[in-house]
Amino acid sequence: MTKVHSVILKIDNITKLHGQFKALNTISLEINRGEIFGLLGPNGAGKSTLLSILAGASKPSSGFTWLDGMEIQPNNLKLRARIGLVPQDFAFYEDLTAKENLVFFGQLFGMQGQLLTSKVNEILQIIGLDDEKAHQYSKYFSGGMKRRLNLGIALVHSPDILMLDEPTVGVDPQSRNRIFEAIKTINAMGTTVIYTTHYMEEAEALCDRIAILNHGEIIACNTLQNLLSLTQTTINFSIHENDMAKSRILKQKLPELKSDPLQGSYSLTSHKNSTPDIINLLVNEKIQIINLHLDSPNLEKVFLSLTGRHLRD
Amino acid sequence: MQSFIIAKKELTLLIRDKLTATVLFVLPFAMILILGLLLGEGFGQKTDDLMRISVLNLDKGFGLNNKPWAQLAIEDMVSTPNIKVEIIQNKELAEELVKTGKRAAVIIFNPDFSDRVNECSFLSTGVNPFHRDGIYLEKLQVSIVTAIIESVCQIALLRIVMPWMIGKAFEKLGDPEFIELLGKEVSLPVPPSLRLLIPKDKIPLGELLQLASGKDAVLAKNYREKVGAGIQTALTGQFKNYNLTGKSWASLTRSVNNAETVNTLTTFKNEDGTGILKRGAIRYQILVPSFTVMFAFSLILISGWIFVAEKRQGTFNRLLSTPVSTPSILLGKFLPTIIISLFQIFFLLGLGKVLLGLKIGLPSWTFSDWMIALIVLPLATSFCVASFSLLIGLLSKNETQLALFSSVPVCLFALIGGCIFPWEMMPDNAKTLAFLTPQGWALDAFREIMPSSFDTTTDFQLIWKSTLVLTAMGFILISITWITLGRIRFGNS
Ligand SMILES: Nc1ncnc2c1ncn2[C@@H]1O[C@H](COP(=O)(O)OP(=O)(O)O)[C@@H](O)[C@H]1O
Ligand SMILES: [Mg+2]
Repeated sequence: MTKVHSVILKIDNITKLHGQFKALNTISLEINRGEIFGLLGPNGAGKSTLLSILAGASKPSSGFTWLDGMEIQPNNLKLRARIGLVPQDFAFYEDLTAKENLVFFGQLFGMQGQLLTSKVNEILQIIGLDDEKAHQYSKYFSGGMKRRLNLGIALVHSPDILMLDEPTVGVDPQSRNRIFEAIKTINAMGTTVIYTTHYMEEAEALCDRIAILNHGEIIACNTLQNLLSLTQTTINFSIHENDMAKSRILKQKLPELKSDPLQGSYSLTSHKNSTPDIINLLVNEKIQIINLHLDSPNLEKVFLSLTGRHLRD
Repeated sequence: MQSFIIAKKELTLLIRDKLTATVLFVLPFAMILILGLLLGEGFGQKTDDLMRISVLNLDKGFGLNNKPWAQLAIEDMVSTPNIKVEIIQNKELAEELVKTGKRAAVIIFNPDFSDRVNECSFLSTGVNPFHRDGIYLEKLQVSIVTAIIESVCQIALLRIVMPWMIGKAFEKLGDPEFIELLGKEVSLPVPPSLRLLIPKDKIPLGELLQLASGKDAVLAKNYREKVGAGIQTALTGQFKNYNLTGKSWASLTRSVNNAETVNTLTTFKNEDGTGILKRGAIRYQILVPSFTVMFAFSLILISGWIFVAEKRQGTFNRLLSTPVSTPSILLGKFLPTIIISLFQIFFLLGLGKVLLGLKIGLPSWTFSDWMIALIVLPLATSFCVASFSLLIGLLSKNETQLALFSSVPVCLFALIGGCIFPWEMMPDNAKTLAFLTPQGWALDAFREIMPSSFDTTTDFQLIWKSTLVLTAMGFILISITWITLGRIRFGNS
C-alpha cells in the first residue's frame, strides 16, 4: 500500500524537564498521515512523557508540537477532539459498565443521541466486547478486556490520530491479537496511529516506521527495513571433526570468521544476503555441515548495537 | 453542560458504592442514636439553679378579687426567689409523673381549696387552719408530698391565709355589730358631774352611746359606725406600715413587689418526644445538629477520597484529555458534593424529626423563615463543604496525604467547632475559638433552628450571619483552589 506522505504531526525540538532530570531531550519527529508509527524504548525512556505532550495533557519545557499546523497546547480544547489517547493505566470507571464508560466519554466530546449509540455499538464490535460484556461492570473484566475497553474509549469520538501507551501490558495472546486487529482496522479507516511499546516484536509486527527512544533521546527513526539493516545476520555453523583440517581454507576465504576449534563451531556476521555464498563455499569444499543456523537481525539487536544495552532488563 | 454529565456520573458511582453510601447516611444517624442512648435524658438540659415545684390546680372556687385562691397561691410561689413553678395539666399525668419518678412531688390544689380558704377565720365560726408549726393542709384541701416542697407550700399558704384572715378580722373592727359587742364589754367610769344623770360608778360604752343618741335607733347605729370608723382610723394611724384590712400579703405588708421577679412559671412539657421511637428528649436537639454539621464536613474526606482515587487511577487524566475545560471538570466534582451534602442534611433532619421527635423551627415561623432555615443555611453549609473537599482533593497526591490534610478540617475543626463536645461542656472561651472553624458557624445556626424547650424566639440574624460567613469561607477556598490549579496541572519547573 502506498501512503500519502503528508505530515500530520510535527514535533520540533521538544525538551521536558522533571526538576533537574531531563525526561525528554531535544526530540524532533514527523509523523505521516495514515501511518502506524512505533515508539520503541525501554522502561523510563520517556515514552509516556512524550505522549502526554503530544496529547496536550502536559506542556513541554521547550520546543513545539504541531497537529496539522495547529500548535498543541494544554488549553487548546478544540484539538483534543482530534486526538485519542489510550493511557498506560486503565483509565475508565470500574463501577460503570463498558457501555456506560463509552457513552460517558462520548458525551464529554459532545456526542449524543443516535450518533453516539451507533458509534458506541461500532466500537464494542471493533474491540470485541459482546452485548453481555458490554453491560457488565468493568471491574469484573479480565486484564485483556480492560485493555480493550481502555482502547475503545479513545475511539468513541473518532479521532484523527490515536496514541497508544503500551496498550498490551499484561494481556493474554488472544487479547493482544484482538487489540492488534482493532488497531489495524482503525488505521485502515484512515486514523494515524502512534504506538508506544517496549516489545520489539510488537513494533516489528505493527509499525510502518519506528523511532527508538532511549534516555529521552531519539537514537534512530526509520522504516523497519532500514532499521534492521543497521545490524547484520550472524551465521553459526559446526563442521564434522574429519573436516577440521579444512578450516584453514575457510579462514583464508572468510577472514572475519570466528572459530572455536575445540567445538568445531564457527560464527560469521554479515549481511543476510551473503548467506548463500557461505553455504556454497562449504558445499564446494565438501565440508560436512552438521549444524547451521541464522541469527536474523531484529530491533533488539539494533537497540543493543546502538546503546550497548538490552531493551528489557 | 459537561459539568452536569460529570456530576451525574459521580452520583451514579456513589450510589453504586454501597459502603460509601452507608457511611454517608446510616453512620451519622446510628451515631446520633447510640450517643443519645448513652448520654441519657439529662444531657443537653440547662442546669437549673431553680428548684422546680410541680403544681396541679383543680381549684374551682373564687377568692380575693374573684381570683381562685389556688391561683393566688401559685402566684405567691412564683414570686418566691429560687423557685420555679411548673403547672401539671391533669391528675392522671401528675400521678404518672410521681409514679415513674420523673417528679418527686406534685402539689395538688383540690376543687374545694378556695371555699376552704374563704371559710378560714379567727372567728369562732370559721375554720381555723393553723397548728403550732403551720397550716393544716388537709383542712384546706391541699395534698402534697416531701418536706421541702411542703414548707414552700406552707409558707405560700401562710402568706395567703394570714392576710385574708387578718383583713377579715380588722374589717370586723369597724362593724357596728362589733361596736355593740364592744359596748357591752367596755365600761367607762362616770365622772362625778354626771352622777346625777347616771347613778353608777361605771357605764358600759354601749349604754353611753345609746344615751347620746337619745333612744333614736338610727342615730345610735350611726354613732356605732362612727366609733367603728374611728377605731379603724386610729388603728391605721397606729400601724402605718401595715394595711391590716389588705387581705393579701402584698397589701397587708405594704411590700413593693420585688422587681427582679422573673417569669418562673412554666407548663409541663413532655420531653420524651413525639417521634416513632419516643426518643425526642432534649438531648437530640443538640445531638442532631452536632452530628449533622460534623458529618456534613466529613464529606471533605469522602469526596476528597473519590477525587484522589480518580487522579491516581488515571481517569482524571483522561477527563483532562477531553474537550472539557478544567474548571468545568472541577465544577462537575463540586456539584455532586453539594447535592450529597444537602441530601445528607435533609436525611438526618428528616429522620430526626420522624424517629426522634426532633423539634425544628417554631410555630411563629413564616414561610421565608423556613426557607432560610431549610434551604439557605444548608446550601451555604454544603457550599463550604464542597469547596473544602475540592481544595483538599486537589492538593492531595494520594490517599495518605488526603487523610492527613483532611484530618484538620474533619476532626480538629469538629472538635473545636463544638460538634463533639457541646459548648456547654467546654471552657468559657471555647465558643470564641469555635468561630474560627466553619463547623462552629454552621453548628451555631443549626442549633438555632432546632430550639430547646426554653427558646421562644429564633435569632435569624445569627442564622444569616452564619450563612454569610460559610459562603464567604467557601469562596475563599474556591479562590485558593483556583490559584493552586494553575500550578498543579501544568506543573513543570
Ligand atoms: N512527574 C515526574 N517527576 C519526575 N520524574 C518523572 C516524572 N514523570 C516521569 N518521570 C521520569 O521520567 C522518565 C520517563 O518516564 P516515562 O515517560 O514514564 O517513561 P516510559 O513511559 O518510557 O516508561 C522516567 O525516568 C521517570 O522516572
Ligand atoms: Mg510509560
